[in-house]
Formats: sequence, C-alpha cells, structure tokens
Amino acid sequence: MAIVNIPPLGEEGAVAQATAPSHFWRTPIDNIRNKKSLAWFGLVPFFLFLILFLLIPAISVFAQALHDEDGSFGFSAMREAISGQNLDAFIFSLKFSAGAAFVGVVFGGFLAYAAATAKRPRWLRNIVSSFSGVAANMGGLPLAFAFLSLLGRQGLGTKILNAFGWDLYAGDFKLGEVSGLITVYSYFNIPLMVLVTLPAIDGLKTSWREACANLGGSAWTYWRRVGLPILAPSLLGGFLLLFANSFSAYATARQLTDNSKIVPLRISFFLGGDISIGEDAVGYSLAAWMIILMGISMAAYWLLRRRAERWSNS
Amino acid sequence: MRQSRSQRALGRLLPTLVLIASAIFFAFPLLAMARFAFQNLQVIDLGWNNLFEKWSFSSVTASFSDDFFAEALTLSLKLAVGTALFTLGLLVPTAVWVHLRLPKARVFVEFLTILPYVIPAIALVAGIVVVKPHARWFLNSDYSLIPFYVVLALPFTYRSIDTGLRAIDLKVLVEASRSLGSTWIATLFRVVIPNLRAAIISSTFLTVAVVLGEYTISDVLLKRTFPSFMAQYRQSDPRGGYALAILALLGTTLLFVAIGILSKSRSTRPQQVSRSQENEILV
Amino acid sequence: MTSLSFTGIRKTFGTTVALESLDLALQPGELVSLLGPSGCGKTTALRIAAGFEIPDTGVVSLGESVITDTPAHRRNMGMVFQSYSLFPNLTVAQNVDFGLRNRKVEKAKRNSRVGEMLELVQLGELGKRYPHQLSGGQQQRVALARALAVQPEVLLLDEPLSALDAKVRSTLRDEIRRIQSELKTTTLFVTHDQDEALAISDRIGVMSNGRLEQLGTPEDVYLRPASPFVARFVGSINELPNSNGVGKILVRPEDITISEDENELTMRGTVTRVTFQGPVTIISVRVDMNDQLVNVHAASGSIHAQVGDRVSLDVTPGRGIIEAA
Repeated sequence: MAIVNIPPLGEEGAVAQATAPSHFWRTPIDNIRNKKSLAWFGLVPFFLFLILFLLIPAISVFAQALHDEDGSFGFSAMREAISGQNLDAFIFSLKFSAGAAFVGVVFGGFLAYAAATAKRPRWLRNIVSSFSGVAANMGGLPLAFAFLSLLGRQGLGTKILNAFGWDLYAGDFKLGEVSGLITVYSYFNIPLMVLVTLPAIDGLKTSWREACANLGGSAWTYWRRVGLPILAPSLLGGFLLLFANSFSAYATARQLTDNSKIVPLRISFFLGGDISIGEDAVGYSLAAWMIILMGISMAAYWLLRRRAERWSNS
Repeated sequence: MRQSRSQRALGRLLPTLVLIASAIFFAFPLLAMARFAFQNLQVIDLGWNNLFEKWSFSSVTASFSDDFFAEALTLSLKLAVGTALFTLGLLVPTAVWVHLRLPKARVFVEFLTILPYVIPAIALVAGIVVVKPHARWFLNSDYSLIPFYVVLALPFTYRSIDTGLRAIDLKVLVEASRSLGSTWIATLFRVVIPNLRAAIISSTFLTVAVVLGEYTISDVLLKRTFPSFMAQYRQSDPRGGYALAILALLGTTLLFVAIGILSKSRSTRPQQVSRSQENEILV
Repeated sequence: MTSLSFTGIRKTFGTTVALESLDLALQPGELVSLLGPSGCGKTTALRIAAGFEIPDTGVVSLGESVITDTPAHRRNMGMVFQSYSLFPNLTVAQNVDFGLRNRKVEKAKRNSRVGEMLELVQLGELGKRYPHQLSGGQQQRVALARALAVQPEVLLLDEPLSALDAKVRSTLRDEIRRIQSELKTTTLFVTHDQDEALAISDRIGVMSNGRLEQLGTPEDVYLRPASPFVARFVGSINELPNSNGVGKILVRPEDITISEDENELTMRGTVTRVTFQGPVTIISVRVDMNDQLVNVHAASGSIHAQVGDRVSLDVTPGRGIIEAA
C-alpha cells in the first residue's frame, strides 16, 4: 500500500472557499435543510408511533374513567376508584411497593458497591452485571413459579426452614401478602437497582476519594460529605424506579394470588369480568389513578436522573 | 489507600458476605424450581435424601406434544422477530436524526422513552380494550401486539442504541462519508449501521427477551403467546409448566450472556469503517 | 518550610518494577520537578509521597519524621490532581474550605482563609459557583487554593496542566511558580512536558524506567545531560556517528559549529534546507559519512549558507555526550 500525500482541498479551493461570499455556496435546498424548525420533521414517525400506540390508549383510559353511572361525563368513577375496597387496594399496593423498593435500594445498593469495588476475581463484576440484566427483566411467570417452588406451602425452602424450627406459614406470611410480594419482587428489584447504581458508583472518581484523604478526611468523612451526596440522586431515582416497577407489575402477582388486593390485579378483574357498563368506568379510573401516580414518580425520577448526570459531566 | 491490615480485611469481608448472600438468594429459587420441574417425585416427598433421584426431562418433552405448544412458541418467536425489526426500523433512524440534526431534542426524546413506565402494561392494555371496538380490524390480528411490544421495550432499546451512538463519533463519520460522495441511504447502511452492530444486536436480544416473557397484554387480550401457554399448561400439569419456565429462563440467559460478550468487543469497532474508507484512498 | 526525602524507595506492581531504588531529597522551599515519559515512575513516586501507595522497601521522611507508614489523611500535604478532583456537589468556597473543616478550624477563621486563598488564585468572585460551571483552568486554580488552604508542609502536583489548553497552561504554570515561591512551600511537581519543567523548577529529576537518570538544575540538565536518555528527552538532539566509528555523539543543534573550512577531522556535508526562525536559523545538513540529516541552530545573520553549499560541521568543545554502541 503506497502512501500518497493527498493535498488538502487544493490550495486554490481552500482560498476560494474562504473568500467567496457565503451565499455563493448555498443552494435552495440547503436553505430549507438548515432551518432548525424543519429538523423536527424527522421525528414525525417516532411521534406518530407514540401517539398511536401509547398516547391514544392512555387518553382512552381517561376518557372511559371520566364517566358517571348514567354514562355522562363526571368524576364519580374516579372518586369511587379511591374509596372503599379500591382505596384499600391502593394503600396495600403503595405499602408493599414502597417496602419492596426500599429493600431493593438497600440490598441492591450494597450489591452494586460490592461488585463495583471487587478487584478479584476480575470476572465477578461482569457476572453480576449480566445476571442483573437477566433478572431485572425476569418478571412474570418464571419468577412466580420459582418462588412457588421455594417458598410455597410445599416449597423446598419452606421445608428447610421447618427443619430449623421456623414455620414460615405460622404467621401472616403468604406469597400473595406484603411480606411475600416484597420477597418475590426483590428478585427483580435488586438487580434493577444494581443496573441503575453500577454506573453511578463508577462515576465516583477515585481522585475525589484521594483528594478527601489528602485534605485530612477519613473514609466516613468522604462518604458523608462527598460520596453519598453525589450518589443520592441516583439512589433516590432508583427508589422511584423500583417503586413504579413494583406497583405496576402484573404477571407475577397474577400467578401468586388470585385475590384482587393489588391495583393491577383489580384492574384486570374489572377488565375481564362481567361488568355492566358504568361499572367498568371504575376499572378505568383505577388505571387512570395508577397512571397519575406513575407519572408523578417518573417525573421525579427524571429530574433526579438529570441532576445526577449533570455532576457526572463536570 | 493506606489502612491497617485489620481494617482492610474487614473492608473485604463485608462485600464478600454480601456477594455470597446474594448468590444464595438468587440461586435457590431457580434450584427449587429445577427440582420441582425435573424430578419425577411427588412434590411433598422432595427432601435432602432424594436430591439426586429420578431426574428426567420427561415433563418438558411431554409439553412439546401438547397441541398448542408449537403454535404458541411459533407465535411468540414471530412476534419477537417482528418487534425487533420494527424497533430497529423506528429507533435507529430516529436516534441518528436526533444525534445529527437535533441535539437539543435529545433530552426530550429520552424523556419520551421512559413514558412506558408511566403507562405500564396493565394500563396500556386497559386503553387497548377501550379502543378495541373501533379498531377491531387491526386488533384482531395476533400481530397487532407488535407495536405495543415495541412500546414496552422502548426504554431499554432506545437506551442501548443511544449509548451505541454516543460511543462513535457519528457526526465525523457521516461527514467523512458524505464528503467522499455517499448518499444518505448509503451512509446509513455502509457507515452507521455497521458501527452500531453491537448496540443493534444488544437491543434485538433485549426485545426478544421482553417479548418471550410478556404476559400482561397477551393475557388480557386473550392472545395465545408462549407465556400464556405456559400459564395455562401449568394448570393442567404443574411440573410441565415449571419445566417450560426454566426453558424460557435458559433461553433469556443465553441472550444476555451474548449481549455481555458483544459489549466487550464493542471497543474495537468504532475505528473500523473510517479506516477502511481511508484505505480506499491510500491504495 | 520542610524537607521531603525518599531513601531507597522501591515499588513493584506485580511483575512490573515502577521504581527501582529512588533516592531523592527536596530542600525546604524548593520546587523539584519529576520529568519523564509515561511509565517512568514519576507519578508512583508522587503517590508514595502522598500516601496513596505503599513502597515495598525504603523510607519517606518529612523533615525529621519518618512518614512511610503514616496514613494519607494524616500527612498534612496538599495535592493537586490532573483533573476532576473538585467535589462536584460542593461550591468553590466549600471545596476550598474542606480541609479546614476537617481540621476543625473555627468558622470565622475558615471564612477569612477561604477568601484569602481565592484572592491568591485570582478567583475571588467565584466562591458560590459549582465546579461544573468553571473552565478547566479555573478548576485547577480552585484545586490549588484548596490544597494550599491548610498550609501544607509539602505541595504535590500531579501533571496539573496536562489537561488544559496551551494558552491557559503557560499562564497557570507561571502562577503556580509565583505562588509557590511566595509561600516558600516545598513542592514536588510531576510532568512529562519539558518546557514546563525547565521553566519553573529549582531542580529537575529526569526519570526513566523507574530510575532517576539525573537530578540537577534546569541548566545542568539541558547543557550537561548525564545520560543519553536525558540528552534525548530534554531539548532536541542530533545523533552523529562518533569519529572513531564506534557509537554515537549526541549533540544539541546549537552546539554544532558550521563553516566552509575543510580538514580531515571535521565532518563534511551538503546543506539541504535553510529555515529562518527569527533569532535562530535552522540549517539542515546531509552528512557525507552516513547520509544522515543533522540540524544546526545558528544565530541568524552569523552564517550565510545556501541550499547546496558544502560545509564542515564540528562539535563545540565540551559539549555533547557520547553514547556507546
């Protein structure tokens, strides 16, 4: 392969380009192409897709929710969706989602830290990261089945605990109850937290740790004044993400319990059953309230994520 | 960092304990399910003494002969491929456009991609049910699930493609290609896509994993996908249902391992196309 | 003002020897640069001084006390890192204040000290800003203020200018020197840029492959390089064949005299290019003996050479260093 010296653009060409009046080089199509506002047209397919397949269903939910019993526009269904048994369902969902999120944040955070800082063996971090990818997306049936095998009434784990004298089912424990759901959901919450937190921990530059020590600070000082404050947006964001994830999970719960104590199950109950017109508005209201709640959580999550990104780009 | 020996030992003990405890927590349910699925014993009888007895795959093979197994699996696979293609066709041009022409819109588009968390599957399907009478011609087909699956996978797939684009110097590559005379289409296919190979494969596998595990929408809309089949089969044959679940898990795990391997080789890719274009001049 | 010394410091990372056996003593108040290519061990030496690495053998002393085993956060040294060392969640003022807070200085004194330091690095107005709102040069000034706020006995700088633009680099370089000589802080400065080292150091330690090749004043290192490595690394060098045919002579371009005279002891060659560079003219000569290209610096106007002229080259007596084959 011979290496040839390619002359830059031709000396004459470069000079010509520099001295010619700028409108000399612009063609009509360039005038159109360079308008910033027209660049948004390139996103039309994407926007159209979202409108058709995300926005319209969402709006339809609200449209159906805002119906009174006689079919006219009104808020009675929305009100009913957060009273009585429905309110109980919301509270139950909120309680266990928050609990599951909290467990996920704590254990996921520690696991992420352990994986991020482990120097040996070198494949450890990759394994944790890959497994987290699998487990975080593992919802639904395999997860439910697995825990039924482990902690169901005939579960192998239940038997092991029995051998140690601990009767798992002596108290309130049932896979469909708060403690059970928290345990099961941790299986995808912890990995999800790991996935979200690993990059954040990587973002903690060693120079900060060293600078802190150099300025006389102990490990405790570092975490208290630098490390945790910087991680805080990611940790809080992780909490919100896990909360939203736990609240809206349907498939797993469906296999674990057939009651309608949690909101997603309740919604499917309204959707699938023999419901008279007017009553189904309550089902849609449940979904509508859920969307509102998720919207608030994800808006907060989004703000926190932007904050965290700002620091990592400094 | 200088620490006393005991401090360092303690510092390593805690993370190790965490890792071991996690390993146990994540392995045990799977092991229990494996025993339930593949040991030909009564569930009540399973204990320590018969840990190695009567392992067989008969539960799984039995499910293969079920009438609906092939149908469900085929449908899910077709949906997976369809969703993956739709996703790529929609997201790659969009992401490239945003990176090249509308950097200011990046934040907004990223925000849009987390909307599926705001309208989760159960709410989405509620909306579909509302619209169903008006769009029966579309929603009656099983393939109508595809766009909704694209929505469900959106946060992950967009993130994957976006990360891939950020890792390559898109603007420079495109300008180099254009200055050498390529049209936009040629640039997209000869320059951009080859450099995004890892991200594309990554997001495809993610999509397949999501589709093969999606239950909510297909359950409510009464479509006979593989997860629906799994749930139904379990009613009649619990052991078989568990076996199918393990199969699904293994498949998904293999996909993710493949993603992990691919993202390690990512670092060698970005320079390749510009170098080959360079070679074309220098020869 | 305190002295800092390394005695017999050896450090290996696995099978790589980062430092063979370093002996280096900094006098109180002086600025010593460690200069060398990447991998030469200069950063390792600095980090050992700071306490972030533990040497395999050897002793590090601060003044009279041995500090080899003292943890990093108890060494009372100030360090400026190459980049990204400011705490992003704290303001500029809070960053500078950080070390003072750790030492439990009372609030009023802290505030006045912070103000003082920010004035010293000429950033008095920016106390309330956050690091990500500052330019690279400004960030490094804050890092310097932060390191000096606690009145450290030794100042350690790890390639503080490498990540900055050329213009900012030279301004900040002179600032660092000005502040250092004002405060008379003993300083260890690590860099791979010889212009930096030559410009600001009291002494330079040139390092290569874990060894200290030469320790001397900038003039010493430039005019009297102790080894072929130093001759090549600092300034530009010509490699001429030795007159006896064995090995090479390494000579600086300005230490070669050029003339039209001819005798058998000088090297003959043909001028291939004459480049006028203001005060100095570079005359490139292709030497007959082995067709090599030699660059000679001559004061402009002292020589009138043209392309194609036949000339004689000679080495100024006392200059140049011989490299055995």
